[in-house]
Amino acid sequence: MDKQVMMETARQMVATIDDLPTIPAVATQVLQLLDSPDVDVDEVADLMLTDQVMTARVIKMVNSPVYSPSQEISSLKRAVVYLGLRHIKEVALTSSFINAFEDKGGVLEVVPCWEHAFGVGMVAKVIADKIRYKDLEKAYIAGIIHDIGEVVLSYYRAEEFAAVLEQTHQRPIKLVDAEAEKFGTTHAEIGYCIAEKWNFPEAYREAILFHHDPRSAISDPVLCAIINLADLFCTVRDLNYGGRSWVTFNLVEEPGWQILREQFPSLAQLDVERFCYELDDAVPDVKELVSSIFSK
Amino acid sequence: MAISDKDFELLRDFIYNLCGMYFHSTKKYFLESRLTKRMEATGAKTAMDYYALLKSPRGGEELRFLLDEVTTNETYFFRCVPQMNAIETKFLPEIVESKGKMGFRKLRIWSAASSSGEEAYTLSMLLLEKRSTLLKDWIIEIVGTDINETVINQAKEGVYNAYSVRNVPDLYKRKYFKEEGGKFILSPEVKKFVTFNKLNLYDDTKMVFMKSFDFIFCANVLIYFDLAAKSKVVQHFYNNLQPYGYFFVGQSESLHGVNDKFKTIHFPGGFGYKK
Repeated sequence: MDKQVMMETARQMVATIDDLPTIPAVATQVLQLLDSPDVDVDEVADLMLTDQVMTARVIKMVNSPVYSPSQEISSLKRAVVYLGLRHIKEVALTSSFINAFEDKGGVLEVVPCWEHAFGVGMVAKVIADKIRYKDLEKAYIAGIIHDIGEVVLSYYRAEEFAAVLEQTHQRPIKLVDAEAEKFGTTHAEIGYCIAEKWNFPEAYREAILFHHDPRSAISDPVLCAIINLADLFCTVRDLNYGGRSWVTFNLVEEPGWQILREQFPSLAQLDVERFCYELDDAVPDVKELVSSIFSK
Repeated sequence: MAISDKDFELLRDFIYNLCGMYFHSTKKYFLESRLTKRMEATGAKTAMDYYALLKSPRGGEELRFLLDEVTTNETYFFRCVPQMNAIETKFLPEIVESKGKMGFRKLRIWSAASSSGEEAYTLSMLLLEKRSTLLKDWIIEIVGTDINETVINQAKEGVYNAYSVRNVPDLYKRKYFKEEGGKFILSPEVKKFVTFNKLNLYDDTKMVFMKSFDFIFCANVLIYFDLAAKSKVVQHFYNNLQPYGYFFVGQSESLHGVNDKFKTIHFPGGFGYKK
């Protein structure tokens, strides 16, 4: 299918959604504040405190096993100090995504959806670290948002999307191919259009658009390859939306892996088996994080 | 005895690097209980004493005892469900399709450390369920081999206790087992596809005759071999597979650095090796 036509179809689809979630103004402000060179912790905490939902969520997240503080952290200021300014960025942004989509589960259930999102974020960060990618938080955030188009389909085109999902459970057809058949576009293009509406930087938009096709990336193919691989690993390690049992892959044949191998030859030494086992070990932490976020 | 997370990680890494078996964090309690037994037997007072012992010249011998503890009772029906699911939904249909095209309707499977037969018979049941569909008119041969004759005789007998069948789905249990006085007797229907023989995986002269398999399984055995022996045996398995055949090890094992010919194929909940 023609890529441009698919993009146009996605654009039209997104344009017809009049109640598309927005990213809270506070999140944007926090992110801007964090980018300024002489930012002070109190300032960040004060600004975040103006958004109570965000505050509550950040405190929940920081107390989960993923960040594992030695004792419970009950104030936002301590959370900011504990996480450091870099990490507070990822937590703040994640928190606003959850706000934007939390009542928009649709066909996909909220918890497995976020388990996948956090899983891909976490694995992306681990891979980024292994290849000494310049910005680990970027990899993490791109991982969290890579399937944003799927969330939109699941909520706004629920009935058709349910049929698409059903198909992928019944026979070995890739989700993107089934979507293209049904909608004339896929969650990758739709996600891109939303990221565009939200004024996300190009690297993130591209990661969303090409997470199934990293070879097409132009501005940051390495980031797309990281997300592509993190996504693949999550689909086979119990962070896969409840899963499609027939999914298999051979790493060597995956374009994401090939891109990273070309750029970072030392990756050939990676013990992939052990990497998978370590991933299994991290899965309960991700699940606990998600369940703590959504517990009332 | 409880081990600290740090000591657990140290022991886990050491054992993994030495034999390729990974202890998941969820298995910490399990490893603790088995370690406690070995620590009592060796007089090691702390986890670090035991670690020092494993690293000493006597370590190789001790590691075998520990692995014995860890792998005891490890054989039961439907032990590795993700593996079975992937075979059923992906690998088997794929092989059946490519062999069927060539008009070659025969499937050969090898359980290379068959112990008392649970793995071989699990596969047999799985294939029986496809007898009227995917595998209609196919010849099925499942070979189980082990070095130990006592377990081979148990396998041939096909009588199991409740522990061995604890993971068998109800449907299969009703269909393929007869319960008598707390024992589970396997139906002749399942047994008829499977033969059991004595085989030492080190025996090159015999290994070269194990030919043309579509699937080979070898769980919890290679961990006992040093790297050279492991490489040699795995190379045999590679040669004994049909082109595009699959090789599986146990679900916490790794062949990293052992053989560079196999391709690692990932599936939900695990991975296997493809020729």
